Amino acid sequence: MNLNRRTFFKVAGAAGAVALGPAKTATASTSDAVVNAGRRGVLVDATKCIGCRACEAACSETNALPGPAMLDDAAVFAKPRTMDTRTYTVVNRANTTGAAAPARFVKRQCMHCVEPACASACLVRALDKTPTGPVVYHKDRCLGCRYCMVACPFSVPKYEYESALPFVKKCTFCADRQAKGEAPACTAVCPSGALTFGKRDDLLEMARERLYAKDSGYVRHIYGEHEVGGTSWMYLTDIPFEKLGLPADLGTYAYSSLTQASLAAVPFVLTLWPPLLMGIYSFSKRRNDIEAHGTDRQQEARHE
Amino acid sequence: MNSPTAQALPERGWINEKIFLGMPFWEYLRSLATPGNFVAGLIMAIGVPLIAYRFIFGLGAATNLSQTNPWGIWIGFDMLSGVALAAGGYSLATAVYIFGLKEYHPVVRPAVLTGFLGYLFAVLGLAADLGRPWNLPVPIFLSWGGPSVMFEIAWCVVLYLTVLGMEFLPPVFEWLGWPKARMWAVRMTIGLTVFGVMLSTLHQSSLGGLFLMAPTRLHPLWYSPFIPAYFFISSIAAGLSMVIVESALSHRAFQSRIDHHVNIDKLALGLARGASIVLFAYFFIKLQGVADGGRWSLLNTGYGYWFLLEMLGFILLPSMLFAYGARNSRITLVRWTAAWTVLGIIVNRLNVSVIAMNWNVPDRYIPSWMEVMVSITLVTIGISTFRWIVNRMPVLRELPEYHES
Amino acid sequence: MIPHDILTLYSAKMLEYGIAVLFLLLFIPFWKYVQGPSRVPAFATSRAATPAAAAAEWFLMPLDRAFHRGHAWLKDSADGIVTVGMDDFAAKLVGPLSRVSLPAVGTAVGQGETGWRLEAIDGRTVDMLSPVDGTVVELNAALSSAPETAETDPYEQGWLMRVRPSRLRANRMSLLSGQAARQWMDETLAGLRGHFAPGLGALAQDGGVPLSGMARAIDAEHWDQLAATFLLTGKEDLHA
Repeated sequence: MNLNRRTFFKVAGAAGAVALGPAKTATASTSDAVVNAGRRGVLVDATKCIGCRACEAACSETNALPGPAMLDDAAVFAKPRTMDTRTYTVVNRANTTGAAAPARFVKRQCMHCVEPACASACLVRALDKTPTGPVVYHKDRCLGCRYCMVACPFSVPKYEYESALPFVKKCTFCADRQAKGEAPACTAVCPSGALTFGKRDDLLEMARERLYAKDSGYVRHIYGEHEVGGTSWMYLTDIPFEKLGLPADLGTYAYSSLTQASLAAVPFVLTLWPPLLMGIYSFSKRRNDIEAHGTDRQQEARHE
Repeated sequence: MNSPTAQALPERGWINEKIFLGMPFWEYLRSLATPGNFVAGLIMAIGVPLIAYRFIFGLGAATNLSQTNPWGIWIGFDMLSGVALAAGGYSLATAVYIFGLKEYHPVVRPAVLTGFLGYLFAVLGLAADLGRPWNLPVPIFLSWGGPSVMFEIAWCVVLYLTVLGMEFLPPVFEWLGWPKARMWAVRMTIGLTVFGVMLSTLHQSSLGGLFLMAPTRLHPLWYSPFIPAYFFISSIAAGLSMVIVESALSHRAFQSRIDHHVNIDKLALGLARGASIVLFAYFFIKLQGVADGGRWSLLNTGYGYWFLLEMLGFILLPSMLFAYGARNSRITLVRWTAAWTVLGIIVNRLNVSVIAMNWNVPDRYIPSWMEVMVSITLVTIGISTFRWIVNRMPVLRELPEYHES
Repeated sequence: MIPHDILTLYSAKMLEYGIAVLFLLLFIPFWKYVQGPSRVPAFATSRAATPAAAAAEWFLMPLDRAFHRGHAWLKDSADGIVTVGMDDFAAKLVGPLSRVSLPAVGTAVGQGETGWRLEAIDGRTVDMLSPVDGTVVELNAALSSAPETAETDPYEQGWLMRVRPSRLRANRMSLLSGQAARQWMDETLAGLRGHFAPGLGALAQDGGVPLSGMARAIDAEHWDQLAATFLLTGKEDLHA
């Protein structure tokens, strides 16, 4: 597939083709991406989360953000919170019914998708997928067009509207800590084992073991295994995923595939439009010439 | 009794002649005191400081944008509608230079000018909306996000602005009185037109393609894999309608600049014919989108009625009215239909970007008065620029020495 | 792409094909309707709204009139009587009028022969040629009280007289319309511009030259002779 694209670029040869050349060409299928062994992920087991929010505190400390709101106050769970420009991760309580039902908590943050919609939407690769997993933000390139916010199916990127020099803010998956061989801050401090950091393939194996263990009680689905082409942060739960607030209506196709068909047409237009238009031009010019001066035969007759 | 004006007049400098319409400076300033200029000045007196305010205090201070609604009317109106309505440039250039319909030559220059200014001010609206507009050169020179539709749009718009600017060089050189440069500029026309049509096809459709990334946010009646085709086809109708409206207004406002030989009514009727056919086809391809998605049941909802209003009231109705008006030479009907179609295009672009977007989310977006004011200001500056140029350069009529028979 | 359930896909596809066929069937008659015959609309005079000082370099030449080289026009009507008047160029050439002397009802007029006389506000007169052979059946009564109308609105309110033509088809051979009329006006204009002082040439297109009473602006002393030259009623033009 790549080879065909390159050949077309050579044929078209226009500026547009040159512009598209050096960038990463469009997506392979999801199965290729998932097989990529170097990718890291996190398995979030909602049955083990105790809602201590140590992950929120660690995240704020690592990223030099103001501390999480109402750290020791259980009332914080009364309403679900969303991330914002100063909070890269939140823990919400799930909507469980009845006093006897166990409280379930879910940690939300950037999903660091295998084929991120935000990175494919970003026209300057400010949001960029790294081979090891994190979707990182190169803030110096960002124009602030906020297309990433439109594209993300999880509504993760937040924008600093209050600033005159605004940036996009989201969880970084502690890419710099990972580069040094450390685990992300949140997974490192989790006391209950709800967060497990490791290679994505290994995590999937672990998740399947838990799911299919006898009488495990889990919902038989690993959220994030295939959603929007797969995410690095995956979830297990014993209550329905919608109760956790995770979007239920996402398909398994990567969002980048939605635009690739129309982008693939670009080289075709660049190649076909000129001969088509020049052909019409020649035809109409000929017709106008005949109207003005007569056909060849009539011209010859006049000269005789 | 008329005083004989055949005597020699005092020599005027180049600036007086070219910039001040042949008047001495103070007389020119006095001539600017018209009610229209007063309104425009008032708008700019409010709007320009507002733009400064937005840049000093940030987007949050000036707009109602939020984390749920990252795009507002500066994208939906200034950028999307502005670019769609500026499509008259490539539509007319194609009609005249490629299809050889020379009878439309009188309107091709104002159409190219409208196109150029339309794009210019769409880009300025975008610059107001961008969080960090000084990084505009980044996608061109520094970092290329190839898979992004936005990337392709950025390149196309930059190239197309250049093309439109170059297409407008002949009248500029005629104004400056540089025949050699003008001849060289005219020779480029056909190449520029072809290049321009190509770029327009790409970015008009890609502006729609942006919304392909929002399948869960955009209401299913407007979301379709064919949005790029919808945007492209409707841009043709938008451009033709805009040319009809602009030529009607110009011929009233610039009486002393028009070529009275030109039967603008006949041209408008011809453009109406074209717009009628395009709108007819556009209606059917949108219908196909509903069928393809199996969305018939959605028509019986609140948003469904709004969609039907857009389809029937703003697409099918103007198509029929244009057809009737063109066939029966009802020029007034045609002009009002054109204005209605322009409104319909704006409605469609706002639907896709703002109204039907996030339709199922409680936090809905309503523009702030400052956003509206800035949009009005940008449009006013655009119109004023158009007037400045038309009053000086041969746009609405040709100079006799360059008249092509 | 929103995935389809395979069962709804069948009906969706049939519906799509159906809509496409419907479109094709409707398109042919629609195209024919849109391209249908249309009259060319009469050229609306926009002059009425123009302040007198605004300069336009071209002259109105409505497409539904036929022009005589003496700068008179004639217009057909359904009842066979033609309306006759003077064109915009003649009106502007002569300028404000104090009187228009028309022949009496019942008089015979001849194409290329003196038709009527214009009297300008300074008392000088210029004759104009009739564009058609025939008998005068009606005069524009409004001109006796408001002769300036003939100059300010020469094509509509300022019509001069209605004539029952005797040889209309033959007369038409000598009349100009459409592209030919435009070319003739271009040549006339070129001839007129030759009379302007050289320094004025560059300003002409941007305004500053008042157009009403051009002949007087060129040559105040002998403007009536200059006008007569253009209107083909100069002494040497008239067939005695």
